[in-house]
Amino acid sequence: MSRVRESALQAGLVGCHTCLKVSAASQHQCDRCGSHLHARKKRSIEHTIAFGIAGILAFIPANLLPIMVVTQLGVEENSTIIGGVATFWSMHAYPVAIIIFIASVMIPGLKFIAIAILVAAAKGYLKIDPQQANRIYWLTELVGRWSMVDVFVVAILVGLIQMGNLMTIRPGGAAVAFGLMVILTMLSAHSFDPRLIWDRLRIPKQP
Amino acid sequence: MSHHTHTWPRLETRVHRIACHFCDSHHLVDLIEEGQAAHCRQCGQVLYRNRKSSLAKAGAFGITAFCLLLTALLFPFISMDVFGNKSSISVPGAITSLWTSGGTFIAVSMAVFVVILPFTMISCLLYLCIPLLIGRTLPFASPIMCGFQMLQPWVMVEVFFLGAMISLLKLVKLAEIDLGIGFWSIAGLMFCLAGAVGGIDKVELWDRIELAKSRRRPA
Repeated sequence: MSRVRESALQAGLVGCHTCLKVSAASQHQCDRCGSHLHARKKRSIEHTIAFGIAGILAFIPANLLPIMVVTQLGVEENSTIIGGVATFWSMHAYPVAIIIFIASVMIPGLKFIAIAILVAAAKGYLKIDPQQANRIYWLTELVGRWSMVDVFVVAILVGLIQMGNLMTIRPGGAAVAFGLMVILTMLSAHSFDPRLIWDRLRIPKQP
Repeated sequence: MSHHTHTWPRLETRVHRIACHFCDSHHLVDLIEEGQAAHCRQCGQVLYRNRKSSLAKAGAFGITAFCLLLTALLFPFISMDVFGNKSSISVPGAITSLWTSGGTFIAVSMAVFVVILPFTMISCLLYLCIPLLIGRTLPFASPIMCGFQMLQPWVMVEVFFLGAMISLLKLVKLAEIDLGIGFWSIAGLMFCLAGAVGGIDKVELWDRIELAKSRRRPA
C-alpha cells in the first residue's frame, strides 16, 4: 500500500471545521472565526448512529401512513407514497413515477445503507477504498435534502386545493414522519467525519 | 498594492496552509490563478477554488435573489380553475392555509426551509459581500459568516421547486392551471441562490474577511 500523506493531526496541527484555517493543535479556539477547534468532529460515530436510527424509525410510518387525505364529494381517500408512484405509473407518466420513487423511497433507503457502510469503515469493520468512501460521503450529503420534495408536494396541494365540499386535501401522518426522517438523516450524515476512515490508513506515530 | 482588494489569494503570503476536510492531509498550496482550483494530493477533493470576479458575482446574484424572494412572497404562485371554481395561492398563502388545515409541521417546515432560511442566508451574504467589495467588513462579520455556512444545507428552494413541478403534474388532469409571477420568481430564485452561493469559495470569503479586519486595525 502506498504511503498516505501526513495528516494535520499527525503534524500537530488542526484545521478549523468552519473556516478551514490551520492552527496549532494546542489551541482551543480558532483565531479567525472564533469556532471551537477539534481535530475530528466530536463523538462523530455516536451522533451519526443515533440520528441514523432515529431516521430509520421515522422512515417506517413515513411509508405506512397516508401522506395525504383527499376528500372528494364527501368520500375520503388515503394516499400513501407508494400509492402515488403506482398512480403515476398507471397514468403512463413514467418519468414522474420514477422521480418520486427515487426521491422518496430509493434515496432514503440507500442513504441508510451508505451511512451504515461509512460507520463500519470508520470503525474498521469494513475495508473499503477510502476514495470510494469519500464519494459515498459526498453523495450522501448532496442528495439528502432532495427527499424533502414529498413534503413540499403535500404542502402545495393542501394549500391549493381547498374547495369546500367539492374537494379538500389534508396532510396525513406520513408527511410529518417523512419530514422528520429527512431532517434526521441530514443530521446523521452531517455528524459523520470522513477523516476517521483516512486515519485508519495512516501508520500511527511511534511515541 | 491596490491589487490586494481585487486579487485572491493574497499576494504577499503566496503560500496557503490548508488541511483537506475529507482526509485531513496537510498541504502548503502555492498561489493559484483565477479560475483554478487546488486539489488534495491524497484524495483528489477540491480544497478551494479561486473563482473569477467572485465577490461581484456573489453580490449581484445575492441582490437579485433578494428581490426575487420578495416578489415570490407578494405575487400568486399557482392559480387554478375547476369548473369555474377559482383558487389561487401565494407562498405565504399556502403556509397559512396549511397551518389552518392541521398541517402545522408542514407549514412550519415550508416557512423555514423556503422563506425564512433563504432570506436569512441571502441577507448574511450581502452583509458580507457588499462591504468586502471595497475591502471593508461591518461589525460581527465572523459570526455572520459562521451563520451563513451553517444555513446552506437547510435552504431548500430548489427542492421546493421540484415539488411544485410534481404537484403541477398531479393537477393538470384535474384543472386548468395558471402559473403566476410567484412561480417564476421561485424559479429565478433557485438559479440566483446557486449563483450566489456557488460564486464564491468559503475559504476565499473567510480570507477576505480576515484581511479586511486586519486592515481596519491601525498598523
